[in-house]
Order: sequence, then C-alpha cells, then structure tokens
Amino acid sequence: MKTTVQVRVNGEDRAVEVDTRTIVADMLREHLRLTSVHIGCATGNCGACTIFLDGRTVKSCCVLAADVDGREITTIEGIAPDADTLHPVQECFIENQGLQCGYCTPAMILSALSLLEQVPDPSEDEIRHAIAGNLCRCTGYHFIVKSIQAAAARMAGTDPASTAQTSV
Amino acid sequence: MISTEIEFSAPDSLRGVLAVLDEHGYDVTVLSGGMSLLPMMNLGLATPERVVSLNRVEELRSVREEGDQIVIGSRVRHFEVATDPSIGRHCPALAAAARKIGDVQVRNRGTIGGSVSHADPSADYLPALVAHGARIVLESAGGARRELATEDFFLDLMFTAKEPTELITEIRVPKLPAGGGAAYVRFARVEGSFAIVNAAAVLSGDGGAAWLALGGVGPRPVALDITGHGRSGWDDAAVQAVGDAAFEVSGGATSDAMSDAEYKREMARVYARRVVRAAREARQAF
Repeated sequence: MKTTVQVRVNGEDRAVEVDTRTIVADMLREHLRLTSVHIGCATGNCGACTIFLDGRTVKSCCVLAADVDGREITTIEGIAPDADTLHPVQECFIENQGLQCGYCTPAMILSALSLLEQVPDPSEDEIRHAIAGNLCRCTGYHFIVKSIQAAAARMAGTDPASTAQTSV
Repeated sequence: MISTEIEFSAPDSLRGVLAVLDEHGYDVTVLSGGMSLLPMMNLGLATPERVVSLNRVEELRSVREEGDQIVIGSRVRHFEVATDPSIGRHCPALAAAARKIGDVQVRNRGTIGGSVSHADPSADYLPALVAHGARIVLESAGGARRELATEDFFLDLMFTAKEPTELITEIRVPKLPAGGGAAYVRFARVEGSFAIVNAAAVLSGDGGAAWLALGGVGPRPVALDITGHGRSGWDDAAVQAVGDAAFEVSGGATSDAMSDAEYKREMARVYARRVVRAAREARQAF
C-alpha cells in the first residue's frame, strides 16, 4: 500500500511517496538521501538512527513513515548554520576526538544537542544519562562526554575559543 | 526491514479509531508509541496486516485532576508522565517509574497506554500502577466503556482483559493521601535494559493502607497488601517482614538467561525492603 507523506525535513517541505511499511529511517536514507541516519539494529537499542521529530529525539527505525505525515524532522544535515560552518557541538566532537569509526556520531551529536537545549550546563552524570540511548562501541564514551562538556562551554560562550571569536 | 504489506490508517479522532476496531477487531493492531511493536515488526516477530495509529488522536493526550484521581490519557508519552507536575506530586511512584523507562528517545515516543496494553511483566509502569491502585479504562464503539482494576486487567504474560474491539483510553490513578509516601525501584543489568525485578510501594498516612507491588517474579504483577506490617510504624523489623513476605509471594518467578528463579526471589526480598524504606523516607519528607 502506497501513501504520500508530507513532512518538513531540515526546514524544507517534502512530499514523499512511500510504502506504508517503510520506517522513517529508510524514508530518510533511501528517499531523501539523508545518509547520516544509520541503522545499527532496527530494534530501538543502538540509537544510531536518532533524529529530531517535532523537536524531540526519537529512534527513526521505530517510527513508521506513514505516521509522520504533517510532522517536522531534523537530521544532523540540518543543524549547522550554513554549508561552510559546523554547529558548535560538531566542532567540539572533532576537537576532542569524540568519535572513532563515526557510525554512532550523527545520532550521538543530536542527543547531545537535545540535552544542551534543555540543560545548558549539564553535569557529567546528566550527560551520561542523556546518551544512554546511543551506543558507541569504539570510544568507551570518555571523549564523547568531554566533547559534550566542551560544547556546553562553547554554546554558553565560556570557553577560550568562543572568547577568542568574540574579541576579534 | 518490514517484510509484509500493511494496511495503515491514522484517524484524527477517538471515534475514528474505535470505528476501525469495531470493523476489524481481531485483524487490526493498534500503534501508539511503537516502542515494542516496531522492533517486533522489524524483526518479523509481529506481522500485522492492518495497523491503526493513535498518533493523530488529540483526545488521548491529556493529564487532568478529577477529584481524588489523576486521569492520564493513554497516548501520554513517558517523558510527560515523568515530568508532569500533578503526576509527580500525586502519583510519585508512577512518575519515578516513567523516569526509568528505556532511554531518552524511548521516553520521548513511548506511551503509557502502549506499555499497559503490551503488559510485559518487566515493564516499569506495572508495579507502580498496581501499588497506586490504578484503574484501566477501556472504550469501544457505540459508547461502551468499562473500568478495570489492575488485578482484573493484567491476566497473564502479555495477556490482558482488553477485547480486540476495545481501546485503552485512560489510566485513572488515585492521589496519594496527604502524609503518604511512594517509591519505585528497579534491578537491571545496565541502564535502559529491562528490569529483572522491580518494585513499587505506596504507604498512606499513619496506619493507613499500604501496598507493595512486584514485577518480574511471575507472568503478571504481584500485589501484596502490607498494611498490617506497618500498623505500628515502618521500623526496620516491619521492613524486614515485608521483604520476607515478598519472597513468599514470588513463587511464580521463572528462570531465564539473566537469572534463575531463586535469585529473582531473593532480589524481590531485597528490592521490597529498599522500596518500602524509600517510600518511608518520601513520606517523612512530605
């Protein structure tokens, strides 16, 4: 059974014709070529397919595409201010080696961003709870936590890099 | 991915959903948050031919106070149960259970009605609902409505009294009386994994009714009236006695890959004590 899904993705209105058994992760990857959305398990465990749906993070392997008609989605492709600039959370993951193989990274960054939107100055404990739904099998999480702490400081304008930028 | 074709509909009213259930009954699967259903569909363990989604039904989304009850719509999501001020104040064990479900993303999508309907014996909500004395409201087309106590609703392993033409529309939870205390604890391997054993306790004011509920030690939640144990206060001897009673009523525990039945019963004893102590502390802080 085919259906047309009207959905706003990364700020752009899209009409996507999908089969009703299509999951959102496949709609984004196969139909809209947003290949940052990774499918690790398809059972809601690994979190590599995390996206923002109406402003909240969800695992897109566990949502049917037909069920997001009229909704709004953001993937990591939609978080940077422009094509030449990275989002501060992306910058901090690079600077602090918050990734190794990179498979979990887009989703991890979205979970970090979601946390920082709600809790601008999280404790280490809050950071670890916030990324409990995103599995990383490379880093041991230490540098991910460090990256998120650095991102919190940068977004608040309290780290050396952002001070340097504002003084220029 | 999902291998079988699906006839999908998403009515924008409760009436519309009930009409689909009335027409197709046994042949339709209700999709709420999908946090259990979608993994099963992706794995091919569930192959529904017809799916009706609740995600456009606004009527099932509210939390409201009605006299001495908190009424929670079945499509209220876990993060809302976890953060709603009236649930936190009046049904604290339920709010605590919601905070422990899965992870952030699961709490953002999963719903209380979905979890109750799925009736997984290790679900976080179940002991909390039982201990709080919650009632489950079922509605079907034509205005039919019934309200069941948890003991009449949760019948067996993932098996409830809900008929295929019925939908869970509300969860009604009595407010904790003034001076009461409630708590929820879980024992699991890591954060986000299913509880091996979980427990909730609701203690009314001095000498009032007190309930303990356990999950993971049988196919359905186990309720234990512990009012008698607290007659002369919740001192350590009373807490100890509740632990022993929890062990006794946990005979339905079965062994699995994570832990054997005897171990679960011992953990029921330990977590029963912990949850009663936590409820006692919460009461003193009230």
